[in-house]
Amino acid sequence: MYTSWTEKHKPKTLPEVVGNREAIGKLKEWVKSWDAETPKKRAAFLYGPPGVGKTLCVEALANDLNLEFVEKNASDYRTAEAIQQFAGRASQYNTLFGKKRLILLDELDGITGKEDKGGVKAITEIIKATKYPIVLIANDVYDPRFSTLRNYCFLIKFEKTSSYEVARHLDKICKREGIWAEERALKFIADKNGGDIRSAINDLQALAQGRNKLNYEDVAWLAARDRKEVIFNVLKTIFYSRNCLDAKKAIDAADVDPDMLFEWIYENAPLHLRDPHDLAKAMEALALADIYRGRIRSTQDWTLLRYVYDFMTAGIAMSRERTQPQWVPFRFPERIRMLSWTKSERGMQSQIGMKIKKKCHISSVRAVKEILPYLKVIFENNAEMAAGLAKWLDLDETMTEYLTKNTQQT
Amino acid sequence: MGYEMWTEKYRPKSLNEMANQAEIVERLKSFVKAKNVPHCIFAGPPGTGKTTAALCLAHDLYGEGYREHLMELNASDERGINVVRETVKTFARTRTIGEIPFKVLILDEADNMTGDAQQALRRTMERFTETARFILIANYSGKIIEPIQSRCAPFRFTYLPREQLIGRLKYIIQRENVNVLDDGFEAILEVSEGDLRKAINALQTAASMRRPISAETVYSVVGRANPTDVRGMITLAMKGDFVGAREKLRKMILKYGVAGSDIIKQIHIEIFRSEIPERWKIKLADVVGEADFRLVQGADEEVQLSALLARLTEAGYEMRKGE
Repeated sequence: MYTSWTEKHKPKTLPEVVGNREAIGKLKEWVKSWDAETPKKRAAFLYGPPGVGKTLCVEALANDLNLEFVEKNASDYRTAEAIQQFAGRASQYNTLFGKKRLILLDELDGITGKEDKGGVKAITEIIKATKYPIVLIANDVYDPRFSTLRNYCFLIKFEKTSSYEVARHLDKICKREGIWAEERALKFIADKNGGDIRSAINDLQALAQGRNKLNYEDVAWLAARDRKEVIFNVLKTIFYSRNCLDAKKAIDAADVDPDMLFEWIYENAPLHLRDPHDLAKAMEALALADIYRGRIRSTQDWTLLRYVYDFMTAGIAMSRERTQPQWVPFRFPERIRMLSWTKSERGMQSQIGMKIKKKCHISSVRAVKEILPYLKVIFENNAEMAAGLAKWLDLDETMTEYLTKNTQQT
Repeated sequence: MGYEMWTEKYRPKSLNEMANQAEIVERLKSFVKAKNVPHCIFAGPPGTGKTTAALCLAHDLYGEGYREHLMELNASDERGINVVRETVKTFARTRTIGEIPFKVLILDEADNMTGDAQQALRRTMERFTETARFILIANYSGKIIEPIQSRCAPFRFTYLPREQLIGRLKYIIQRENVNVLDDGFEAILEVSEGDLRKAINALQTAASMRRPISAETVYSVVGRANPTDVRGMITLAMKGDFVGAREKLRKMILKYGVAGSDIIKQIHIEIFRSEIPERWKIKLADVVGEADFRLVQGADEEVQLSALLARLTEAGYEMRKGE
């Protein structure tokens, strides 16, 4: 399965975070100052361009200082009422074990529009009264929407990471992945991404995953044409070839991870083969490719790989009988995006699953499936029973909050 | 006020308290009397008392301190060969002190063990028979390799008959002092599908609403606890919105962690309940069955189910054309 390198190689502690030492130092001092007394400004506002490690550094700080960490994307909870509900609570109630708490409201830029106006105001009110440090994150602190809010915040600016530092970090990742990489190649990727370390890592993954060597030529070749274009061309050939051989050849031309290419085809097939008969054939071809992947897994016989390729290239091309060719833009595999989105939620679920397992003689996997949904309903409706069950199951506060608040979001 | 999950609160502690699977319980009691237990396989559908029977057996064998002589492993969480190599072996090989010279190892959800792990387990079972007895618990004994099956005494658990379900539920209702209306009680029986654990969970959750439990309460509670809108997904697909249907599917699998096999089961039920022409139902049953088989073999759930959804889209299209 596809795991993103930005997740996999995410720094866990502050010293590992790349760049912005000064800003990080300020933030740390400010959070520590809470130990002595509540500072004048009860919130810190981190701002700066995307992908420079703002969120990361708050997570690492919470980890380093052993704080209870409460995080929400403000853009998901935009109304005043919703914000009050999660942040208001977290800013007032004591933690279960007397631990200190750190509250993060991420992606404040996401609060937009008239109907959300109350949201920023609600945040301001919460900050005035909070008992715990609150960190806000947005790209642009000087947006007029934040003009009042700004006055209550300690502003900390995050800068673009220098491409030297980015390149050095990429090198570290390559070493961990067992890839030998030419210095020039990494420098090139770093430059191209102009200080956005997250997108640099994504590029590196697209270029280097599945190889053991990365030369300047490999990178420069792709630089000539954008990497997306390469995959788009492959997709175009596969979706619109009239014979098997052309479609099959496309995969040789493509220097992309076959599993990744599969995801691209799987995502886009219904958009390019809209006739129901064609679509059924195409999805069946992908299902067959997948079955051969499974056979490779269970037998470790990699010669079967050619059949995987047959079905995901020629199989798709030959599905087209009735759909008229029509240009539709290709889109990024949603499944991969969703996997990383839902990752933290699944992490929480499986932690609760482990707790249930300890009490209920059932695997954590089945606990998540069969018992957790009932707990959510109970926690939403009956605080008394919920409190009793939380104690009995030994749930911590974040778990309790997850069960109470996170019901049935879609 | 203390609360716990009622499934645990009312789980029988001793074989004497087990009100169902009478034949099996009798045989297990005879093991206790003889102070000897063979390796066992407990097979049968969920919520029929397999784990409870195993725990009760251990309790009755060793008495109150039974936990010291018992290890519970769950193959769904620890399915790899390393668990067998390390955890199981370490436990199995050391002798126990006391009247009974062996320990008991309960391996729950054993049908989720990999083939390799089962092979390793088979050797472990043989080598340490003197010091450890294994109780393997599975939904399908067919997924346990033949050599293990032949070393175990098989016990086949069946769905609880309606009267027994009713009896147990009534007992809990009375002890917990909840007000269940007649139609609410029927609804619990219906949604439980013969699975006592499910029935008790539905009961407790419905009771948490703090009002007399009607059928409506039960269905709403169970509906919210099952965010798997399989029917809606099928409707979308048949109407021609394949992409929308796939999105729903994706959410079920990724966001709610619903197992593909459960989705398939639900699709199968919904197709026969739906109002499509009768001859289409049987055509589609074949498609569903094929997908089911592929999942059992370990294919990618979303990809296989998507292929199935595409077939539904195709079927919907043909039906509209008046086929």
